[in-house]
Amino acid sequence: MNAVVSRLVQAIMVALLIGTATFVMMRSLPGDAAWRIAAGRYGYDHVDAAAADAVRAELGLDGPALPALLQWMGDLAWLDFGNSLVSGQPVMDEIAHQLGASLSLAVVAILLSLLIGPPLGILAGLRPGGVLDRMLLVASTGLKAVPQFLMALVLIVFIAVQMRWLPAAGHGEIWHFILPSLTLALGLAAVNARIARDAMARIADMPFWRFAQWKGLSERQTLFRHGLRNVSVPLFTYLGLQFVTLVEGVIIVESVFGWPGIGHALVHAIFSRDVPMVQGTALVLGLGFVLVNATIDLAVRRIDPRVTA
Amino acid sequence: MIVIATPQRRRAMWPAARIVGAAHVLVVALLALLGSVVVPSDPFAQSLVKALAGPDPAAPLGYDHLGRSIFHRLVDTLKLSPIITLAAVATAGSAGLVLGTAAAALGGWIERSLVILADALLALPGLLLVLIVLAMVPGTALGFWAALSLVLWVEFFRLTRAATREVLASPAVQASRLLGFGPIYLFRAHIWPEIAPMMLTAAAFGTATAIMAIAALGFVHVGLRAPTPELGLMMVELLPYWREAPLALLSPVIAIFALLLGLTLLAGSRKS
Amino acid sequence: MSLLKAVGVIVLDGGAPLLQPLSLHLDPGEPLVILGETGSGKSLLAQALMGTLPPELTARGRVAIADRVLDTGSPDRFRGLWGREIGVLPQEPWLSLDPLMRARAQVAETHALVRGLPRGEAAARAQADLAALGLAGAERRYPHELSGGMAQRVAIAAARAGGGRIVIADEPTKGLEAGRRDDVASLLLSEMGDTGGLLVITHDLALARRPGGRLIVLRSGAVVEQGPSRQVFAAPQDAYTREFLAADPENWSARTPRAGTEPAVVSARDLAVSRGGRSLFAGISLRIAPGRIFGVTGPSGCGKSSLGDALLGLIPPDRGTVTRRPGDHPHAMQKLYQDPVAAFPRKRSIGQTLADTVSVSGGNSADVDGLLDRLGLDPTLLGRRPGAVSGGDLQRLSLLRVLLRSPSFVFADEPTSRLDPITQARVIRLLTEIAEKDGVALMLVSHDAALIRNTADTVLSLDAAGTAAISEPATFGTPVAEALT
Repeated sequence: MNAVVSRLVQAIMVALLIGTATFVMMRSLPGDAAWRIAAGRYGYDHVDAAAADAVRAELGLDGPALPALLQWMGDLAWLDFGNSLVSGQPVMDEIAHQLGASLSLAVVAILLSLLIGPPLGILAGLRPGGVLDRMLLVASTGLKAVPQFLMALVLIVFIAVQMRWLPAAGHGEIWHFILPSLTLALGLAAVNARIARDAMARIADMPFWRFAQWKGLSERQTLFRHGLRNVSVPLFTYLGLQFVTLVEGVIIVESVFGWPGIGHALVHAIFSRDVPMVQGTALVLGLGFVLVNATIDLAVRRIDPRVTA
Repeated sequence: MIVIATPQRRRAMWPAARIVGAAHVLVVALLALLGSVVVPSDPFAQSLVKALAGPDPAAPLGYDHLGRSIFHRLVDTLKLSPIITLAAVATAGSAGLVLGTAAAALGGWIERSLVILADALLALPGLLLVLIVLAMVPGTALGFWAALSLVLWVEFFRLTRAATREVLASPAVQASRLLGFGPIYLFRAHIWPEIAPMMLTAAAFGTATAIMAIAALGFVHVGLRAPTPELGLMMVELLPYWREAPLALLSPVIAIFALLLGLTLLAGSRKS
Repeated sequence: MSLLKAVGVIVLDGGAPLLQPLSLHLDPGEPLVILGETGSGKSLLAQALMGTLPPELTARGRVAIADRVLDTGSPDRFRGLWGREIGVLPQEPWLSLDPLMRARAQVAETHALVRGLPRGEAAARAQADLAALGLAGAERRYPHELSGGMAQRVAIAAARAGGGRIVIADEPTKGLEAGRRDDVASLLLSEMGDTGGLLVITHDLALARRPGGRLIVLRSGAVVEQGPSRQVFAAPQDAYTREFLAADPENWSARTPRAGTEPAVVSARDLAVSRGGRSLFAGISLRIAPGRIFGVTGPSGCGKSSLGDALLGLIPPDRGTVTRRPGDHPHAMQKLYQDPVAAFPRKRSIGQTLADTVSVSGGNSADVDGLLDRLGLDPTLLGRRPGAVSGGDLQRLSLLRVLLRSPSFVFADEPTSRLDPITQARVIRLLTEIAEKDGVALMLVSHDAALIRNTADTVLSLDAAGTAAISEPATFGTPVAEALT
């Protein structure tokens, strides 16, 4: 119960932070913000001074800051994000449209990273200091030093440009998934693998691991009966924290590969100072983190009976 | 506290990997500091005749698509983004240290509200925060400093608070208090020795994160603006010319990889 | 016909012998106890017999088990014996069970995977095994929901489900409450029965005495004495064995209790303390005079440490008052900890910490030298960090640090529970001497009733329900206070 409450507080704080930040951003927009917002709503052809004044009055853009902030937060509380300043469409519709593309990319990337990282990490952790362990350490340290955009660049240059195996950008076909998701997955796997390795090495050093073998279980039986479930607990927990890395990756990778998702939309919105879109996308990403971690809290509690509070 | 008895004998402060990492960082720093002294030139000077030309004595790494010396642009960028980054890490580190120890030592509503704030910031991807701050604060170097400080302090705060809490609850601190030692001694003898190695690790990670962020945003055209030399910006500008001038693209790639690898190694293994 | 016969087993670290050649045999129905302190090599012996030595150590010698003869130098061959011939009862049974698996499943998997029974039958067998050990109703619990003793019974059921006739128990009382030692011994004996073999490895004299059978005493990797257990305990031949057996608090000669009417250094009236919302005890009144030893004993969780903390003002009492002797300086009340390593700044040399203490107390550095001498400590220890000093020496250094403050009252919280018996006896002797000579009021808390009985002037016994009984030297067993919970 306590955990649920603290996640709820976290979610509210996230909304408050983003709301305040975007409000400040709105007030500090260069030029006549009201005019631009009105243009966003009604289209540039239909804007006149009256429409701009109406918007100005509604949002309290000229008035004292505090009532305006309250108005802004009130809209936020009613989930009224307004319209995009660029397309004029409601922010909610735009986001609903983009979320699917981002989610499918993120899910594919996570699955791919789980296929690469943890199996290698577990094998390495069973023989700490062994050949595989040392190779994995070098590989994951190297990968961790490659930022996502650089990974994207390397994959584009070698696989798309040099070898011409895959298209560098695009969306819609199944092979368009490969480069962006691989970019994200390799970065995640570098961390996954280390977490799985450390967890496995720690568990293989615990008394219950030794005792399982003393009972007469083979190495393999011990791993499957006692290793995997115990490794999965820290792995799940870290998966929640990795979500932040994933979101950052999505922002960059979508922009690099022209993937029509929420990260791409955010960068565009920042570029064109489309404050309602910035607020909407930022909220979805921030609250997504809270939601994912709340889900993981619950999942870990199902696996590990010791977690109660 | 759980002591894990893995056969890792080398738990010294400076294991081999750290020394290699420090060496990487040192080489990049020397390049940045001495590069323009050894081969003087101007990173902004254009000469379209030399566009994408190979190395010559005046430009040891060749020329970019506008005929500017890649070497000098690199040297310049390796000064600018580390300076922004180090300023941000120093700000974030001291803020995190002060707030973290204060939260752990004072407890109560001060601690609770700081934790709630830090948790909320933790839920926001760093790049997102940087983007929002950048949209508000013009003058991008200052904007980056403010934004990165805002992002990075959370990690320092969490580490310091957790370690300080654990130390303050330990029998060792109870014993020292019974013996009559004051808060300054508790910090000096108990808390700081536990935090210091973590601070080094967190600072190295923070520096790497910040350098990545600056370059990543440059790469997608929302960071520092051209013609300022910047690693991400250089790469995206030179990407179309990969076939004609591979060295031109590889130079910033290798530079950032060496720097980030050095910082990752310097950070050592992050222990939770 | 012996179940297990080991001939000429040695353990080497590189070229240095850690265990001198040792031979032993295990006969049906006759327990064998290996007794030794930390560093005696007793655990190495167990590891050599099971093929579980760490890879940097090598063993030599032959072990015959069932119809097989194995070389301890090639430990891989032993693996096939685990579960099937040898059941190992691990140290710290709580940590030896998979935290994410229910009790019955941990036993059933041995039946299923080691003996190859079908799943349903394995579960039924496991159920029966647990019921036979008095664990009916606990089969669906997770390890953290079991008490230490229950976890131990689950562990022994799991260890034996593979059908092994030999039981090896390495420090089976480690991590268990002192009161459970007798249960452990009877559990092991009943598991052995008339046809099984039992090898018990321990430093715990109370446990070693129980099973009877034969006894081997180890010291620094060599056998100092062996023979029928009863005979060795009754008339030890070797000087070391004699010192070892005498170190058992049960065998200490009781200190003559001292009584007097000096004003108390600290006193409490009608004290009630709770922890985490649970009331530990209520209505305790006590007074401790200078130079007197006030012993507190009781099972874990009864609140004996909290009583001391309440006297020191470290935790606030729910009710009641604590009064200090007027005129004492504010830091005259000090504490000694169960784990001395955790009571020193981890990354500071001990000498530095002591120098800090001298300066905060306004003394001079010669005090340290004088006390080192008095407590029989080697001055070179000062250059080390707390983690690099043995438990006994570090506990004496803790005492030294406390004495630099010229205390009038010292609360010693289980100060010797992590020490070997001989070291424990020495540290307790030193503590009582200091208390008497320096006129320090000492509150000694221990789970070991015999230790308290033979050391203290006044004994306060607490039980788990929070009932307190104070016995003065003259008037044993007079209840002074009753719990109000």
